[in-house]
Amino acid sequence: MIHLKNVTKIYKDNGVVALEDITIDIGEGEFVFIVGTSGSGKSTLIKLLIHEETATAGEIFVDNRDVIKMKRTEIPYLRRSLGMIFQDYRLLEDRTVYENVAFAMQVIEAPQQIIRRSVDNVLEIVGLGEKKNHFPSQLSGGERQRVAIARAIVNAPKLVVADEPTGNLDPDTSRDIMDIFKRINDAGTTIVMATHDKQIVDSMKKRVIEIEDGHIVRDEIKGLYEKIGKKDVVVPKIGSNNQKFGAGSVRR
Amino acid sequence: MKLQNIQYYFREVVVSMARNRWMTFASIGTVAVSLFVLGIFLILIANMTNLASELESQVQISVYLKDELKTQDQENIKNKLKNLTNVTEVRYVSKEEAFQTLQRRLGEKQKILEALGESNPLPNSFSVTVKIADDVQKTAEIISKFNGVEEVSYGQEVAINIFDVTRLIRVLGFVLMIILTGATIFIISNTIRLTVFARRKEIAVMKYVGATDWFIRWPFVLEGTVFGLIGGGISAIALRSFYSAMSERIYSTLAFFPIVEQHPFMNYLTVVLILSGIAVGVLGSTVSLKKFLEV
Ligand SMILES: Nc1ncnc2c1ncn2[C@@H]1O[C@H](COP(=O)(O)OP(=O)(O)O)[C@@H](O)[C@H]1O
Ligand SMILES: [Mg+2]
Repeated sequence: MIHLKNVTKIYKDNGVVALEDITIDIGEGEFVFIVGTSGSGKSTLIKLLIHEETATAGEIFVDNRDVIKMKRTEIPYLRRSLGMIFQDYRLLEDRTVYENVAFAMQVIEAPQQIIRRSVDNVLEIVGLGEKKNHFPSQLSGGERQRVAIARAIVNAPKLVVADEPTGNLDPDTSRDIMDIFKRINDAGTTIVMATHDKQIVDSMKKRVIEIEDGHIVRDEIKGLYEKIGKKDVVVPKIGSNNQKFGAGSVRR
Repeated sequence: MKLQNIQYYFREVVVSMARNRWMTFASIGTVAVSLFVLGIFLILIANMTNLASELESQVQISVYLKDELKTQDQENIKNKLKNLTNVTEVRYVSKEEAFQTLQRRLGEKQKILEALGESNPLPNSFSVTVKIADDVQKTAEIISKFNGVEEVSYGQEVAINIFDVTRLIRVLGFVLMIILTGATIFIISNTIRLTVFARRKEIAVMKYVGATDWFIRWPFVLEGTVFGLIGGGISAIALRSFYSAMSERIYSTLAFFPIVEQHPFMNYLTVVLILSGIAVGVLGSTVSLKKFLEV
């Protein structure tokens, strides 16, 4: 689904080497966390995938599309094949929940009847069927993020990328949001999520790629937020949390 | 373009204009006011240029003929005059006609002509209108060498002064027009930039969900067209009543002042203003969009 080879990103305006020699392969249906401290390069990696930034060197393929060699006019079609979710939701404040989601289908010129059916369906999935005529200002942070998720998946993309989707949410709400992501992933959608939310990473037991100063320092199947060695130091504090969340996912 | 898209574009324009009511009002107002000001100056320039042409057309060459000339010779001269490239019109003025004109001009003082008794000392002549007033001197020189021509006169000093004045008027008018057009484009496109700026979030979201550039651009292009159409229309209506009032005033007080006729001039001006409104609207929105499309 995603293939990166020796990717380097240097921001031209300030010369910052945000990513250096990154090689990652992500298969269809995977759930991958990109973790690392603030400024390590997580967002940059996400931006390269959606062609918001262009890599300085290397190869990037997303769903068999050559993202680096791609022409400007092909970018919209790349973005239609994936859904995007951000920390700040990026909803249109002057449109209702329904309109925000329908917007994603209108702009790719979907027929009206299909729009109606898909939007209603996807709002049920994220649990906002009742609030489809509300405006974003009338919603809580968690509800807004649900709208954003609904918008991201309404076109049934094979891949969803999310940059700190729980960054503005409290732990309980984050857990609800993660449940939705899990359901989407269970339905076969690949998910790549940049985060530094330790709790959610540890609770999901999914593949974890850790970036430090623009380099991959760890790539673990069923990983935790921190390296085993490091984790030992803080075991007492997070132990109970781990058990609480772990129960559900261990049984799975 | 799919029908559904066209419907979508138009609905977007209407919805966006209703949502950003003040912005819409301000934009259309700006377009109308700037085009109105531009229109006033265009009217001024057109009238200045008209005045210049009027002055120039009064530059004529009088070709005085020798007295003993036969009709055949006169015909020959007339044909030769007509064949000159710079000559547009040749009119025969008989000595009798010239005498009557003189009488009329003298008015009260025509009694001094009575001293001449029945004799008429004025020659027959041709009154020649030239195409390019600048070349009047050259043309006059050529004509003076024709057989049977006694003398040629074109009010030398006056003519040369008029050319200086009309050239100045034309150059000034042209420069003014360029500057004002530039200023108008600047003001209008700046206003439109604000309406685009107000919707930058929406544009960014459209980009993220995979809208093509043209899909994003169309509603703005349409909106620019609507702004230009309405703004241009308002300015044209205002200018028409302004010019007809002004024309009337001038006719009644300065009847001799050659002003440009309202028709068809104001029709041209209307078309020009509406088309430039649309052009600036469309260009302004496309150019302002460019920055926001690069996500
Ligand atoms: N648009 C940009 N221009 C210049 N430098 C940037 C830009 N975006 C990020 N950076 C720099 O790149 C590095 C990685 O940033 P980022 O990918 O946002 O990290 P993270 O998302 O992990 O916090 C940082 O040093 C940051 O300052
Ligand atoms: Mg970030």
